[in-house]
Amino acid sequence: METIPESKEQTATPPVERLAYSVQEAADMLGVHYFSIYRLIQRGKLKTCRALRGKLLVPRTELIKLLQTDLS
Amino acid sequence: MNYYEKPTALQEQAYTEAKQHFAEHLKQFKANCDAIHNIESNLPATANDAFRAALQSSGHIIQIDDGTQWQHAVDLTKITAVCHRRTSGGLEFAVVESLPLKSGEMKDVLNSGHDPSEVLQTFARDQRQILSLWKNDVTAQIREHLEEKHPHQDMSIVVESFEIKLARDISRRETLAQNHSRGIRV
Repeated sequence: METIPESKEQTATPPVERLAYSVQEAADMLGVHYFSIYRLIQRGKLKTCRALRGKLLVPRTELIKLLQTDLS
Repeated sequence: MNYYEKPTALQEQAYTEAKQHFAEHLKQFKANCDAIHNIESNLPATANDAFRAALQSSGHIIQIDDGTQWQHAVDLTKITAVCHRRTSGGLEFAVVESLPLKSGEMKDVLNSGHDPSEVLQTFARDQRQILSLWKNDVTAQIREHLEEKHPHQDMSIVVESFEIKLARDISRRETLAQNHSRGIRV
C-alpha cells in the first residue's frame, strides 16, 4: 500500500517566537527611531538584558508591557 | 598584548568592512555627540534666550501629547527645543521632543523645571547617558559582526579601535590612541 507523503505544511517546523530583539529591531517593531529606544532604556521605561557581551536585547515581554502601559 | 601592535592585513580589511557596514550608525552617533557638545557649550546663552522668550511670552504654541500646551523658545536639535509656559507656580521650562513617526508626529516633554539652566543641564546629562548606552551597544554589535564574519580570528584590535573612536566622539578629547589605536587609524 502506498503511503501518502506528508504535505509541506505538516513537515514544516513552526516559526519560533523570538524572546528578545535588538534595539534596531525593537525600534522597527514600534515604528520609532532607534534613538527613542535608547531613551526609553535610559529612562527605565524599557528593561533590557546584556547577555551577548554588552549587546542590548529588549525582551518581547518588555515591548508588550510598554505598549500596554501606554494604552492604559 | 602590546597596545601599539601593528594590525594584520586581515584586521585592516575587517576594520574597513565594518566601518562601511556600520557607517550610518557611526555617522548618526557623531552627529548626536556634536549636537550635545553644542548644547553644552552654549548652555548659558540658550538658558538666557529661553528666559527672555518666557518673559516676553513669545514663541508658537506646541501641543504636547499629554494635552499640555507650551510655547517654543529655542531649538536645541532638529527634534528637540526648549519651551516655556506660565503656571500658578511661575514660569516653567521644558525640553520638548518632536518625533516623526509613521503614525504622525509625537511630542513629549523630556524634562522640565523652573530654572532653564537646570533643565538644560539635566537634558545634557540624560543625552550623555544615552550616548554611553549607544556606544556600548554599537561596540557589541561590531564585535558580533566581526565574530560572524571572521570566526576563530582575533579581532579585538579592530573592536577596540571602534570603541576608542566612539569614546573620542563622546569626549572629544585628543588621546594618544587617536593616531595609533594599536595601529589602526580611527
